[in-house]
Amino acid sequence: MAPVVLDKINKLYENGFHAVKDLSIDIADGEFLVLVGPSGCGKSTALRMVAGLEDISTGNLLIGGRRVNDVDPQGRDIAMVFQSYALYPHMSVRDNIAYGLKLRKMPKDLIEQRIAKAADMLELTPLLDRKPKQLSGGQRQRVAMGRSIVREPQVFLMDEPLSNLDAKLRVQMRAEISAVVRSLNTTTLYVTHDQTEAMTMGDRMAVMKAGVLQQLGSPTDCYDTPVNIFVAQFVGSPPMNLVVVKVEEGPNGLVLRGERSTLAIPDSVLSARPALKSYVGKTVVVGIRSEDMEDASLAKDADPLRRLAGKVTLTEALGSELVVHFTFPGTRFETADTKLIAKEGGAGDELHIGDELGIGWVASFGPRSRVRMGDDIEVVIDVERIHYFDPDTSQAIWT
Amino acid sequence: MSIDTPAPGKAKDEVTAARIKAEKMPFGRWMRVVGWRHVVAIIVVIWALFPAFYVITLAFSGGNTLSGACPPDRQGLAALTCLVPSKLSFDNFTAILTSTQWPFAVWFRNTVILATLNSFLALLMGACAAFAFSRLRFKGRRMGLLLLMLVQMFPAVLALTAIFILLQSIGEVFPPFGLRSIWGLLLVYLGGALGVNTFLMKGYFDTIPVDLDESARIDGAGHVKIFFGLIMRLALPILVVVFFVSFASTFNELPMAQQILPDPDNTTLAVGLNSLVSNPLLQQWGLMAAGGLMAAIPLLIVFAITQRSLTTGLTAGAVKG
Repeated sequence: MAPVVLDKINKLYENGFHAVKDLSIDIADGEFLVLVGPSGCGKSTALRMVAGLEDISTGNLLIGGRRVNDVDPQGRDIAMVFQSYALYPHMSVRDNIAYGLKLRKMPKDLIEQRIAKAADMLELTPLLDRKPKQLSGGQRQRVAMGRSIVREPQVFLMDEPLSNLDAKLRVQMRAEISAVVRSLNTTTLYVTHDQTEAMTMGDRMAVMKAGVLQQLGSPTDCYDTPVNIFVAQFVGSPPMNLVVVKVEEGPNGLVLRGERSTLAIPDSVLSARPALKSYVGKTVVVGIRSEDMEDASLAKDADPLRRLAGKVTLTEALGSELVVHFTFPGTRFETADTKLIAKEGGAGDELHIGDELGIGWVASFGPRSRVRMGDDIEVVIDVERIHYFDPDTSQAIWT
Repeated sequence: MSIDTPAPGKAKDEVTAARIKAEKMPFGRWMRVVGWRHVVAIIVVIWALFPAFYVITLAFSGGNTLSGACPPDRQGLAALTCLVPSKLSFDNFTAILTSTQWPFAVWFRNTVILATLNSFLALLMGACAAFAFSRLRFKGRRMGLLLLMLVQMFPAVLALTAIFILLQSIGEVFPPFGLRSIWGLLLVYLGGALGVNTFLMKGYFDTIPVDLDESARIDGAGHVKIFFGLIMRLALPILVVVFFVSFASTFNELPMAQQILPDPDNTTLAVGLNSLVSNPLLQQWGLMAAGGLMAAIPLLIVFAITQRSLTTGLTAGAVKG
């Protein structure tokens, strides 16, 4: 158990590729920090540098207050869980778990004691004498966890440990890993490309893109107050809906003028985001999460300046909610980031049903909604919860 | 228990088993789908085993000429009946084992020593080189691999003159490693052993996930532990292949051995057996057949020991499979 400090860490490969740029993160003692980002964003490289499997080009890495840039992996007192689990195939589960302890010349009885404890915690006791190939994916994953736990290291490093599991098992193991790590209270650095894991598991999450740290904060922070469009879209599923609109002076204060609808900017938003006043007459990118929209027929008393008209292209009834894909005319906001996220979400070549009117949004309505495909609908928007971004810098507009 | 659950009982099972018994495939269809492979296989096996069978017949016939196993009165297809030995005799075996002119035991010992040592050392050297090429990144890695490949393009016999002179010079300073010494020959063999083996092993090492090395490093293992405890262990199938191949090729190698160990008193099986028939005026085919059969025994033993590992896929289950 020790704090980990990444101080302006850079990774520059010999071929000139700058994988990690000035990454600075303070991980508190016992904290569970999730590094998240799309593939190729440098998160795994960062983790491997902490592990000592990659050299650090510049910057300082401190574990427990000690600078460990030039310390071998075995000297850093860390344990790592690999995406592929990396179990030694010729050893039994027991030997796999004991390997690190044996190499450290720990007395036999103590090794046995630790194995028993870890196996008990992970429900591996009946599997101890099996070989890795006789185990299921989830069991192998648990063995990999066990191998880390018995070491009782200062820091756990986990490199996408759940991505080889099927969806159902992943949810279960997510909870298990969280519970185990929290009960041990060991500092953990967890890498994933799955924002759901980042949201559900981490005390804090660090969102990275192209080697640069975008936002570091609690999952709620990143979700509710994203610093830029990338974080806004990357965190949360489905990604935040975006549209380019113009800020104008209306009869009762500022409004957002779209092609067919107009939305009010409440005073509370203006006082929280004073910089918004300077955008009068200019365009901004507004973002709205799917859950901040509701079927107008379920909320009849809504103000017309909170309504958006559109046409339903697809509905997905999930029981607890109705996911409605709808379209309305407007200016699409597209950058390399939004395309990247669309691609990561597998929506690159999405099936478009019906006419596209310019903007395609996803809203989640209450289960009582009777909206059907092809309907013309009105959507009530929680205007207090609209996010505002500068179209040029993609940064959130605050002060 | 619901209604459609079958009642437990032997009778019921038997009925089911009888009902699903597969119908027999008609012969024509069986032949088209499966049978033709058997026919081809049988022909090929006969083709391949014929010389071996001939040698066995010759060795046990007691005769000493190529045609000795078959009397001249049997011609054409009738000659095939000669393949069945008319009498069983160990004369050829006793002759070669007791001969003072042909010290079979010395040849045998030399060859086994050479083959065993060469295989082990070549294995170790090749594995070290392959580990470096597979796991480490260094300047000249690609170049080294290409060079290794390139050198393999030239047959070893091309270097015979150079090696001969080299060994002669070494022998003047340090006779045990010079000409007419099996240690000299071992040196020559080891020099040539690196290429193909390294390639084979590098290819196999590449299939062992690097995650395993890294995991072991984090667990606290150094290069030596990773190499001997992990890679060598997991690469066992390819190590066995390399061992067997170099054992067999050393066993059979003729041109080098002939130049470096030319004396029948102290040479290898290949050279010695060859010398039995190389004199056109005195070709001892029977002795050679008997000697050759006995020479095959170590190879068969090595094969019997190694063949099980040849097919074991040890890496299965290392990562998600």
